[in-house]
Amino acid sequence: MFTLEALILVTVFCGFFGIILKKNLMMKIISMDVMSTGVITFYVLVATSTGFMTPIALPERGVSVDSAIVDSAITDYADPVPQAVILTAIVIGFSIQALMLVGVMKLSRDNPTLECSEIERSNT
Amino acid sequence: MMTTFTLIWITLPLFVGFGIYLLPKLARVLAVAVSLISLAYGLWHVVYAEPMAVTLIDSFGVSLLVDQLSGFFVLTNAVVTAAVVLYCWSSGKSAFFYTQAIILHGSVNSVFICADLISVYVALEVIGIAAFLLIAYPRTDRAVWVGLRYLFVSNTAMLFYLLGAALVYQANRSFAFDALTGAPAEAIALIFLGLLSKGGIFVSGLWLPPTHGESESPVSALLSGVVVKTGVFPMVRFALLLPEFDPLVRFFGVATALFGVGFAVFAKDTKRVLAFHTVSQLGFVLAAPAVGGFYALTHGLVKSALFLTVGKLPSRDIKSLKKNPIPTSLWIALAIASFSISGFPLLSGFGAKVLTTKNLLPWQVIGMNIAALGTAISFAKFIFLPHTLSSQDQAKKVPGTGFWLAMAVLLGGLVFANIFYYEAYTLSNTVKPLVTIALGWLMYLLLFQRVSVKIPRVAERFDHLIGAMSLTLTFLFWMVLA
Repeated sequence: MFTLEALILVTVFCGFFGIILKKNLMMKIISMDVMSTGVITFYVLVATSTGFMTPIALPERGVSVDSAIVDSAITDYADPVPQAVILTAIVIGFSIQALMLVGVMKLSRDNPTLECSEIERSNT
Repeated sequence: MMTTFTLIWITLPLFVGFGIYLLPKLARVLAVAVSLISLAYGLWHVVYAEPMAVTLIDSFGVSLLVDQLSGFFVLTNAVVTAAVVLYCWSSGKSAFFYTQAIILHGSVNSVFICADLISVYVALEVIGIAAFLLIAYPRTDRAVWVGLRYLFVSNTAMLFYLLGAALVYQANRSFAFDALTGAPAEAIALIFLGLLSKGGIFVSGLWLPPTHGESESPVSALLSGVVVKTGVFPMVRFALLLPEFDPLVRFFGVATALFGVGFAVFAKDTKRVLAFHTVSQLGFVLAAPAVGGFYALTHGLVKSALFLTVGKLPSRDIKSLKKNPIPTSLWIALAIASFSISGFPLLSGFGAKVLTTKNLLPWQVIGMNIAALGTAISFAKFIFLPHTLSSQDQAKKVPGTGFWLAMAVLLGGLVFANIFYYEAYTLSNTVKPLVTIALGWLMYLLLFQRVSVKIPRVAERFDHLIGAMSLTLTFLFWMVLA
């Protein structure tokens, strides 16, 4: 658990430093995607802190829908709340990325190298 | 009943926004109608200050909190949007522009009534997208680059925020604002980093001057008038709900007030003066969270009026404006707004300044007084611009009816807003702002008018903006632990 958490944070910071250190605008956007993947994975990890099972009540798991939970019921369910939340964030993340790529396409006509410092110099 | 009405009101801009695209002929009418509804809703909550807290569906649902504070912010949003639509009335903007403006309006409103971290996140991201589309509306390379920069900074900040929200959930199994109480220090540092960057506060606010300075005037007015307040609002809410964040928020208030005004005093470009000044004024909102709503209202009205007026001036460079007199009618609009923001009595900027000053803690007073003096100095630049009554060629430069309608709404609002705090008008309250303004003008005429300091723009470069986030994060972490 701890190792996983550490690895996820490493991913986030890899992405973050990629945004700073990469010179090419396209690479910066990909770095941002790496960073956002890290954040998403972190939510998935938080969701598994209580267990891995799908949170659906089924008879074969010892849970009947009508009556109360049977003694032998499986209780190590994954927490559905962070998963539901991160689904929204994934959608937002990819739509923002799509929008950015459209912007990059427009910029690439006059700045074919897409070098960030060059674009900045010619546009400020 | 009130809940149903709130839900209809909050979803209406989204429906109307897309509806505009289907009925492009009605775009402007619909846009004004939506802002009028928000105006009524905001006024209702300001006047009948009955807080309303709702959780939709169940314990993990979206939670809303509407009170007087939200009322003031919603009111700001409504008036500014209405004024911007009136300003653009005969400018030939396409339905797409109004669609984005109204979606922006709706998502800004939803930040002001949300009371959980994830709803705020979603609303802030929608704001980011809509603001990007508005900035990039002219489709020039420059506009696209400025917008892209904005979207990039805002999205990176929001990723940190999201990480912070996950840590809060891990600790307390809840995304509600009050779950922040027991959250670990790193969670709080990450969430504040996101909000500080989005709201343009202190060092994280350096993205704001180029963005607001390079956009078209109506978009700058929207961005400076309301959009940055969406980053500030959750922090004000934290400070009010959870007393342990009060010192942190107040500290950033003073820091950004001084930081922004320091740049504004030396800036030589009209739009950059206004943008840096926004960074500073947000500090006044944060410095006294309990009365931040009223300050946000007066600042939103003034700043959008200023951006719209400055956009009509023949030049952006103050030096060249000094040589060529501007039309007197424009100068009057500029002067009224500048007087209000400097805290001159008769305009509601005065009431807001008095109210904020009364709610400061002793350690904040010196810093905020210096910031108020800096405001007077930086707006003396506008007040002392030469102006002439219309000669032949000047008459052509005077803008049309849309502009004056927008001014009437914004400046009329400034006079009207006095009724929210008419108790400010006592002799002792009146003397201090007048002394501050006099001192500021004196300093401007004797000193600041002559000096020419060029502050390098290196820190506003894209890489440095993102890099500054890591420094701010470290600083925040250290502050939360302390």
